Amino acid sequence: MKQITVTVNGQPHSAEVEPRLLLVHLIRENLNLTGTHIGCDTSSCGACTVLLDGKSVKSCTVLAVQANGKSVSTVEGLCAPGAALNPLQEGFKENHGLHCGFCTPGMMMRATELLEHNPDPTEDEIRWGISGNLCRCTGYNNIVKAILYAGAKMRGEEPASTEPQFV
Amino acid sequence: MIAADFNYEAPTSLDEAFTLLRKYGDEAKILSGGHSLIPMMKLRFASPECIIDINNIPGLSDITREGDIMKIGALVREAQVEHAAELLEHFPIFADVTKLIADPQVRNMGTVGGNLAHGDAANDHPAVMMALRASVVIAGADGTRVVPIDEFFFGFYSTAIQPDEILTEIQIPMPSPYTGSAYHKLERKVGDYATAGVAVQLTIDANGICTYAGIGLTNVNPLPMRAARSEEALVGKKITDETIAEAARYASDDCNPSADLRGDVEYKRAMVGVLTKRMIHKAAQRAVA
Amino acid sequence: MWVASRELATRWCVANSRQALSLVLDKISTLVWCLIQPMTFKNMAKKLLGDPINRVDGALKATGRARYSADIKRPGMLHGVLVMSTIANGKITAIDTADALKVPGVVNVMSHQNAPKLAGMDKNKPSEIATDRVLHVFQDDLVHYNNQPIAMVLAETLEQATEGASLVRVTYQTQPVKLPLPAGKADMSTPKQMPRVDDQVDTKRGDLAAGLAAAINRMEETYTTPTMNHNALEPHALLAYWEGDKLTMYNATQGISGCQKRVAEIFGMPKENVRVITQFLGGGFGSKGTTFSHVMLAPMAAKLTGKPVRLVLKREQMFGMVGNRSATVQRLNLATGKDGKLLATAHHSITQTSDFDEFAEPAGTITRMLYACPNLDTTHKFIRANIGTPAPMRAPGEAPGVFALESAIDEMAAQLRMDPLAFRLANYAETDPNKDKPFSSKSLRECYRQGAERFGWSKRPAQPRSLKNGNYLRGMGMATTVYPMNRGESTALVRLKPDGTVQVETATQDLGTGTFTIMTQIAAEVFGLSPDQVTLSAGDSIYPTSSVSGGSRNTASTGSAVTQAAQEVLKKARQMALKDPKSPLFNVAEAEIVVQKGGQLQQKSNPKVGEALTSLLKRNGNKPLEATVQSKQGDEKGKYSMNAFGAVFAEVEVDELLGEVRVTRLLGSFAAGRIVNLKTARSQVLGGMVWAVSMALHEKTVFDPRNNRVMNANLAEYHVPVNADIQEIDGFFIEEADDIVNPAGVKGIGEIGVVGTVSAIANAIYHATGRRFRDLPITVDKVLA
Repeated sequence: MKQITVTVNGQPHSAEVEPRLLLVHLIRENLNLTGTHIGCDTSSCGACTVLLDGKSVKSCTVLAVQANGKSVSTVEGLCAPGAALNPLQEGFKENHGLHCGFCTPGMMMRATELLEHNPDPTEDEIRWGISGNLCRCTGYNNIVKAILYAGAKMRGEEPASTEPQFV
Repeated sequence: MIAADFNYEAPTSLDEAFTLLRKYGDEAKILSGGHSLIPMMKLRFASPECIIDINNIPGLSDITREGDIMKIGALVREAQVEHAAELLEHFPIFADVTKLIADPQVRNMGTVGGNLAHGDAANDHPAVMMALRASVVIAGADGTRVVPIDEFFFGFYSTAIQPDEILTEIQIPMPSPYTGSAYHKLERKVGDYATAGVAVQLTIDANGICTYAGIGLTNVNPLPMRAARSEEALVGKKITDETIAEAARYASDDCNPSADLRGDVEYKRAMVGVLTKRMIHKAAQRAVA
Repeated sequence: MWVASRELATRWCVANSRQALSLVLDKISTLVWCLIQPMTFKNMAKKLLGDPINRVDGALKATGRARYSADIKRPGMLHGVLVMSTIANGKITAIDTADALKVPGVVNVMSHQNAPKLAGMDKNKPSEIATDRVLHVFQDDLVHYNNQPIAMVLAETLEQATEGASLVRVTYQTQPVKLPLPAGKADMSTPKQMPRVDDQVDTKRGDLAAGLAAAINRMEETYTTPTMNHNALEPHALLAYWEGDKLTMYNATQGISGCQKRVAEIFGMPKENVRVITQFLGGGFGSKGTTFSHVMLAPMAAKLTGKPVRLVLKREQMFGMVGNRSATVQRLNLATGKDGKLLATAHHSITQTSDFDEFAEPAGTITRMLYACPNLDTTHKFIRANIGTPAPMRAPGEAPGVFALESAIDEMAAQLRMDPLAFRLANYAETDPNKDKPFSSKSLRECYRQGAERFGWSKRPAQPRSLKNGNYLRGMGMATTVYPMNRGESTALVRLKPDGTVQVETATQDLGTGTFTIMTQIAAEVFGLSPDQVTLSAGDSIYPTSSVSGGSRNTASTGSAVTQAAQEVLKKARQMALKDPKSPLFNVAEAEIVVQKGGQLQQKSNPKVGEALTSLLKRNGNKPLEATVQSKQGDEKGKYSMNAFGAVFAEVEVDELLGEVRVTRLLGSFAAGRIVNLKTARSQVLGGMVWAVSMALHEKTVFDPRNNRVMNANLAEYHVPVNADIQEIDGFFIEEADDIVNPAGVKGIGEIGVVGTVSAIANAIYHATGRRFRDLPITVDKVLA
């Protein structure tokens, strides 16, 4: 067993863990933050994406012990309970960037880092930027729109209409 | 999926790491990015007794130029490469290759050193490093040695790194003026391993003669492969459609792919030919640009 | 407003019952009816494309607070990890659990040697529901397919259970393996029935031989599609626990009520003792529609250990025990006369099922009705293989079947040198040629017209290989898409409270499509309220029984129940008002009372007279008004053919040297009756179209021919597109009024996006390259071959 301290969404947590415990299970089982999902177990789907020291990682392929002394951000940390949604969350909600919602937290955590590096991404940059996250429901278009919306909001610009736009 | 139980050590110096390596011998595995090792452990293809996490060892995470050598530390992440201005300026091939390695999250963790040390011909950096004629610095308790990339790969998942050693750095010779490099791999969908991949670096002199050619192939040979005959077909000659076609034909003939879900042998050979042509063109264009 | 007009229409038809309405409608065509009620039609037209409101669960899902089945915990809960068979056919001769039981934290290992016996488990007695599967729940030692669950390790942590599972040693006596398609075709048989039991297995119309003989042009080709797996992003998961003889399950299911019934049936207990809860579901696509083995295994383990048990499937375990899309081998014959009209059509399908259960992929059913053709044969045969039983997977039958049909149609058009769209129009079916019945509505011509116009179909040169973009050959293709209107039985309770809010109760689940939002919206519309004034209680079998979310049927089914229950409550409110001397609407004829925005009752001929529903209820005892309605299909099904139609247009680019295909543009036009919510609906069809890209270019389950082991049982090797694989996709809806289909006026939209789109892409690749690809998926190696 290893003693670790991980700061999750700003709160330090100490735990004694088996080295083989995956970061995603630490988050879901030990800390009860079930917004981070497990989809594939082979680092293919991105549903388990969290930020580790600000960088998006697939927490099914990171050991909890690797996060010792580091900070982790999960979907639950995007806005305080009861507080207004952050621009990304709002973007996904307003643009119907989610159906079943299972991929959504991972998508948003990935997009958080993407927008931090590239505040005004093109559609193509978004498509490549979230190419590590699978969605089986939406057809992706509304996810791209959601991230464009969030980018605009974060830049203080008026986001495009969230109504369905037809060609 | 959960790995079998193991001990976890996170040394803060290379010496400490060497001590651990001596203690566990074959039963230890080095963890850098972990995105090849951890999946293998979860699948229980690998059940090491001890994981030695080298991420807390300082000094291994930089990309620096020292004279005629570009140095990439063992812990440099793929994502870091994507934004390394000086490296990309001299070696545009890194912009090509990193975009095609897995996906952004994996590139945030995965390291260039790990991509090589894993000893997998399906990985992309081995071919790139062959095209660039890089060397690998391997450190042990008794000192360090510099191994040319052509002497680095021994077999499937097997490299020149001994059980008590650690890959610490990759060294790439700075290119002459008028050098260009390019990489592409054919993938079934974005983020896939290569069906076939080709890395090319060329130097073209004022007379249009090719003075340097490096060509590496991905996932079409049991070991990462240098297309030596293709290189010879270019050096000392003008880059013309004929010389390109000849180089492509040699690459296609000399590789030794195996049939799998990505396609049969003949198909893969054909793809090596097409990709070799295109990458020579692209590298040549970049060389004279 | 639309719902009010529907009320009017209903009352105009004398009685407020579905049967009466359809009787009247039977006598006069919809068109005439619209002429008589011009206002009604006009008002309806406004709402045919419903408000694009945001989904009601958007914020919960965007904050990570939506709870999926694997998120639920109980004190003392055990984790179950399954041990799967490594052979495809044979017998278990021994299971050695000694080492597994030594792992600290491992509590028990359940297998056929110690599993509880199931009272209702009788393989000779088929379930009442055709798509219920024979289950493998540790009642015997037989292995029927590779990756079949054969033991379950139960431990305090997932890590311990996983470790234990790795130490269970199983020995087998093996039997020869029956291979799936395309091998094993020698052993064909005829299915007993189709999944939709009204569909015949084989059909004949006219005289095929005579039609072929009379024809000038003929084509015959074989089309093949591979086995596929649903791969919803959420792995199947459940938590089961017993309290005395009562069982509670948090289960990821597309059919709460069906699951409740099936679990009760197998355990031999009254259905009231089983509670199934699905708060949120991470997709299903058919793989969570039927109740598979794992759903029984968790409650069995909970019974064996006396503790709550959580079971979450690993991704690799989703390749076998939870259904698949059958591979198909389909032979198509088409023959046309000199005017380009079809004279003969034959569609012979071979599919596959497991060696212990029957599921017949209905690949040929659409061919029977899509085009006018006097002479037609369709047959279905299957082979039996040692694989998990196939199950419905998004557009089962229609997706592979229409790929074959619409590719063949395109081939015939090319042979005739006709524009593919013109050829389809020349063979347009005005009535359903299979059922010999009128369509309840069919706006396919309009779909063709608007789709072609928006896509720019007229710019398509007739000659293949005429368009280029750098290294890429460019091509354009199109296809017809279609999906039958399915409707199951659903019950809903609607309660109008004196505070003006509405409560809806129905067991239904939302597998991600937006069901919770749609039900809320439907109820709100009836009362002229905004959706936020409606509370939906659902996702739990304690509420009234509802239909499965499958076959694009839930809005037609549960949406109709909510519509009818809400209308029933409104009727009660109207009657309350006209009988209440204190109401401004006292003694106003019931037919004269309409509801307006904001929950206002109003006299139609004198809008100044009226009052709010809230004041009416407060004055009348301050009690809620409620109604429960069980809604099911009436005799309209016998009188009409009811289907959604559409047209799909695709543009592709093909790098001929590398074989890479990219779908650069997809456009679908769909007519699916009333669209309740334009935003959720459009996203549904876009998602369906991405499924079609995936089916056309990527998806294939690969079996090892030695032991039927799936060789790509993970999302790294089983390919589905990521965002960067997808380019421009758009879908829109044609306004279509259909008062026959069901009280909600809707046809399904969950599957129609997939159906025709697969062949639209294949046809575009033909147009780009001049070559036909009749074997899916169209991967780079095939494009180069």
